[in-house]
Amino acid sequence: MKKYFKKLLLVIIVFLLAISTTACGLPGLSSAQGGNDTIRITALTTTESQIVANIVSQLIEHETHYKTSIVNNLGSAPMQHQALYRHNADIQAAAYDGGELTANLGMPAIKNSKKANDTVRYEVKKRWDQTYLPTYGFSDNYAFMVKPEEAKKYNLKDISDLKKVEDKYSLGVASEWVNAPGVGYKEFEKAYGLSFPKMRAMNIGLVYSALQTGRMNVVLGYSTDGRIDSYHLKLLKDNRHFFPPYNCGMLINNYVLREHPDLKPILRRLVGRIGMHTIRHMNYEVDDELLEPSTVAHQFLVKNNYFRDKK
Amino acid sequence: MSKLSIWQQFIYYYQHNGAYVLQQFDRTFLISIYGVLFAAIIGIPVGIFIARNSHLGDFVVEIANFIQTIPSLALLSIVMIGLGLGVNTVIVTVTLYSLLPIIKNTYTGMRSVDKNVIDSGKGMGMTNLQLLYMVRLPLSMSVIIAGLKNALVIAIGITSIGSFVGAGGLGDIIIRGTNATNGGALILAGAVPTALMAIVADIILNFAEKWIVPKGLRE
Repeated sequence: MKKYFKKLLLVIIVFLLAISTTACGLPGLSSAQGGNDTIRITALTTTESQIVANIVSQLIEHETHYKTSIVNNLGSAPMQHQALYRHNADIQAAAYDGGELTANLGMPAIKNSKKANDTVRYEVKKRWDQTYLPTYGFSDNYAFMVKPEEAKKYNLKDISDLKKVEDKYSLGVASEWVNAPGVGYKEFEKAYGLSFPKMRAMNIGLVYSALQTGRMNVVLGYSTDGRIDSYHLKLLKDNRHFFPPYNCGMLINNYVLREHPDLKPILRRLVGRIGMHTIRHMNYEVDDELLEPSTVAHQFLVKNNYFRDKK
Repeated sequence: MSKLSIWQQFIYYYQHNGAYVLQQFDRTFLISIYGVLFAAIIGIPVGIFIARNSHLGDFVVEIANFIQTIPSLALLSIVMIGLGLGVNTVIVTVTLYSLLPIIKNTYTGMRSVDKNVIDSGKGMGMTNLQLLYMVRLPLSMSVIIAGLKNALVIAIGITSIGSFVGAGGLGDIIIRGTNATNGGALILAGAVPTALMAIVADIILNFAEKWIVPKGLRE
């Protein structure tokens, strides 16, 4: 019995030592601090960024021999920036040009879509040696939306058309938008000469159903939300270009591209391939159909054969 | 989807994301196990050492106690400053938290071994090392394993919070549930396996305890 016990102890000690010597890359865990062949991708807490991060991650794993790990649930754009800046991560899957400009580059918002995109590309390259790929093909802006039958009834096409109905319409908005610096409600009133006596601030997730059930007549939501398509909501055109663009693209630390030159053509395959309706549909599947972002990403890539046609 | 009850949604979720949940379950489990293993590597020798140098005992236990009082999210952030985002940060945090139950139980177990038994061991001409692994360790094994059990259950809880620094695991599903508009089913989908893991880990260690404690001591 005692001899047996001695052996057991020996086995335990050897096992522990074996594990402790491999401490930098623990078996079974793709570590965010891990080896050379692990590409680390950041994602926010938002559904959209998690879907995009999973698409990027699965594309890399499927088309190359590299491993990937997703650094998930980062709280904000500055936090993602810090992760890339400190080389805790290699790729920021969803970088919105409007957000990068104001939050990370510390520059004033630019309302011209192309100019904003080009400025971000130039600045991140100069300041942080990063590559900002052209957009996936969708842009996550604030957008005013109404029910289609209401739009027809009052002939609403642009935001300025709301002038006709501002007194009787109730407006539902995200509470964080009301006081947003530069693009908040006050500035909006000034830019469009509109004022809604019946305005309610609420959680952004609630505005779509508030509109659908008729509790609100017009709401401000995100343009990529899945419920826009499923409720057939009508988006009003920002005819005075009040809201700055938030085109979504991929941000990559250049050292990764230098170390792994085969990566760039693969990542470029996604440029222009995720349109507005596609991302809305995927957002819908995650938010309302209880599918995981990774499941949705897998279906998307398989359906498009990992974009192999585009070289 | 909103027509289904929360439990129907819960089942639907598993039917469609089974592979993903399994992957995250695996991840959470590994992170917790690694954390506790490292704590055991450090904690058990330290416990044995301070049991023999009892003037150090209070001091070391006090330090471990101090670590335990730091809220888990705060400790996670402190470790993150040094190690950055990712899995290793969580493993280190889990290790730090697991130190107290392991050190304390090893210390207590060692100290509570009957003096007369040790004396008779000495009388038989045992060396210090023989006394340790033939007398002291077997006699205190059940107390040490109780400490490991305690540590593992704490570790599984902390690993869920580790999703905030990008470590992944079942916590990811819970956080997604808290962000979604109708996330009740998602929160359950993450929380139920986490709780299950803690219970199963406890049961497995109970068996391990029965198996590892010498026959003469089993009662």
